Amino acid sequence: MRAALVGLLAGLALVVAVPASSAAAPTTCPKAWAAGWQALANKIKAPVYCPTWMPNPLDAKIGGDYQDIYSVSKKDRSYLVSFLEHGDEGSGDVHVNFRGYPGRAAIPKCKTVILSGKKTIRGVTPCFADAAGTKSARGITATVYRVNQDADQWHILLAWHHGGSLYTVSEHVITPYTYAQVVKNLDRLLAGLVVVRPEG
Amino acid sequence: MRVTRRRFLGSAAAAALSGAGIYELVDQLASSPARPAAVRRPLPREQHVFDLRTVSSEGIEVLVPPLHSEVVTATIREDDLHAAQHDLEQALQRLDAEYDATPAGLGVTVAWGLPYFSERVAAQARKHLPVDARARKSVLLPSRRFPSDPSSTVLEQNDVAVLLRSDRREHIDDARKAIFDDPGLFDVTSIRRGFAGGGFEGGKSLPQKLAVAAGVPGADLIPDGAELFLGFTSTQKAGLGPRLIANHETLGFVDLRGGYFRGGTHMHLSHINEDLEAWYLNFDFDERVLTAFQPGLTNVRQGAQTVPQGPHQVASAAETARKFKQTGRFGHSASIQATSRLQQAVTGPDGTVYPKGTAIPQRADFNTLDNPFAFSSNHAVDKLSSDPSAGVHFVVFNPSGDDFERNRLAMDGVLPDGTKLEVGARSRAQGFNSVLTTTHRQNFLVPPRAHRSFPLAEL
Repeated sequence: MRAALVGLLAGLALVVAVPASSAAAPTTCPKAWAAGWQALANKIKAPVYCPTWMPNPLDAKIGGDYQDIYSVSKKDRSYLVSFLEHGDEGSGDVHVNFRGYPGRAAIPKCKTVILSGKKTIRGVTPCFADAAGTKSARGITATVYRVNQDADQWHILLAWHHGGSLYTVSEHVITPYTYAQVVKNLDRLLAGLVVVRPEG
Repeated sequence: MRVTRRRFLGSAAAAALSGAGIYELVDQLASSPARPAAVRRPLPREQHVFDLRTVSSEGIEVLVPPLHSEVVTATIREDDLHAAQHDLEQALQRLDAEYDATPAGLGVTVAWGLPYFSERVAAQARKHLPVDARARKSVLLPSRRFPSDPSSTVLEQNDVAVLLRSDRREHIDDARKAIFDDPGLFDVTSIRRGFAGGGFEGGKSLPQKLAVAAGVPGADLIPDGAELFLGFTSTQKAGLGPRLIANHETLGFVDLRGGYFRGGTHMHLSHINEDLEAWYLNFDFDERVLTAFQPGLTNVRQGAQTVPQGPHQVASAAETARKFKQTGRFGHSASIQATSRLQQAVTGPDGTVYPKGTAIPQRADFNTLDNPFAFSSNHAVDKLSSDPSAGVHFVVFNPSGDDFERNRLAMDGVLPDGTKLEVGARSRAQGFNSVLTTTHRQNFLVPPRAHRSFPLAEL
């Protein structure tokens, strides 16, 4: 029932809260979310990008109700922070991932596994592929990738460079958001990103 | 007719209210392709022959399909087959007189299902139906499911199917009325509508525009200019059987017995759902190429849509098996080519030489937004929905049902020498199958034009 309600609310919100291109995006990480993003920047000792807007019904509070994955690599300090509302009974998901690869500009490689009869085919492929143009906002020029792996599979992903590091944000194409709505959501996410630098 | 964006969006919204209405957009979104001036020629003996002009796409010769296609299936209402034969032939001859048998006019192909032959003209069919000499079976086989088909695939039992093709929607409407409404011979069981092409002159293609207008998932991901939803050109000339190759008699696969069906062919009809989002969001371009064609195809330009499939690009069964051993996967075209292309040159009965590597099947498939049909007399069995869905009405002519089955089995990794490439039924390693779902199937026999109306009923 809750899932159905959330789905309904998400649908309603899409009607009433279509991204307003004329509204000026905030220039600082929202107060309620800032502590988590600051802690992340401090932990990886590199800047991170905090969103100032999230697709309904998500927020971007690390440690909040919608946080799903929070992973920081001990090896290279790369991070994956994801936010998820998982609906059941067909109401769909809303899933947004943020990644950063401090000191690394190249697109990482992902392992692939395809089950083929009794065989398992293992391979390696770019984690982000099928580039489809660029998007620009707030001094960021991001490449749009349509075919992505692992936690970004079935997502549309924006990737850009800052200070020699690679950053991404992606959203799952799944009900209640269509491909076109996901593209709009990502446009608004990109336009609202603010840099949070490590302290100390 | 050209349309403004405002008009396009307005039409799309209006059309979205009606499943059938979406196809009215075809005439607004695409100009009729340029066709050579009609020169009245005698109708060919074959009903399935429909000559198309060619254009160059990315340097490769491709056939320009008719904008509109429709298949109407039915059961027979009339018990007096002699009278029915007369009435149907009258209707068909009126259409022959009215329209050129070209895409600018109208193509009509009347095909008959096994229920007709086994229940209405059983004695004559036992004597006259051609036999596949390789399989030692009738050319018309009962419909079956293939390894990658779900158990839900409906095996249909229609008496008749009529394929209508034209650049003009109104010509098809006229033909449907003339054949099915006026004589009162049939109970229509389904109407299947669709479209193809429209992108060879650049810009957005018809399937892309229609899919976007209908709002089907993944529509925005279809590349500009794509002839079909899945993004690759399907009608390149070298990939389709030449004019008479699919006739029962041309390649010597079939024993015509008394010869009643000389000039006839076999037609398979199926409906296939296509998961466009899965195709475009999970397979990058390189993987789409190796899935649609074959692993190891590395010289294809990024974004290419027309990939050469001439006799020199044909993969043998041994090559497909070898690449499967190396990579664990096989491509759609390569696996089928082991059976769909001539393994050696053949000279037809009229002296035409068909070189090694020539394609045998003549496809007449078209994209659709039917879910699964535009009309069904049995909503529950057909799971009819008014929500548009991306798919294809697959229509193909082969010399026999066994020849079709060889191709379809090869698509699932069962090669003609009996080698089975061991993959899961809907594995990503297996060509297109992981993004396709077949909902309906049936086999038909297409008689020559002289016997197109209730074949064998006069005997």
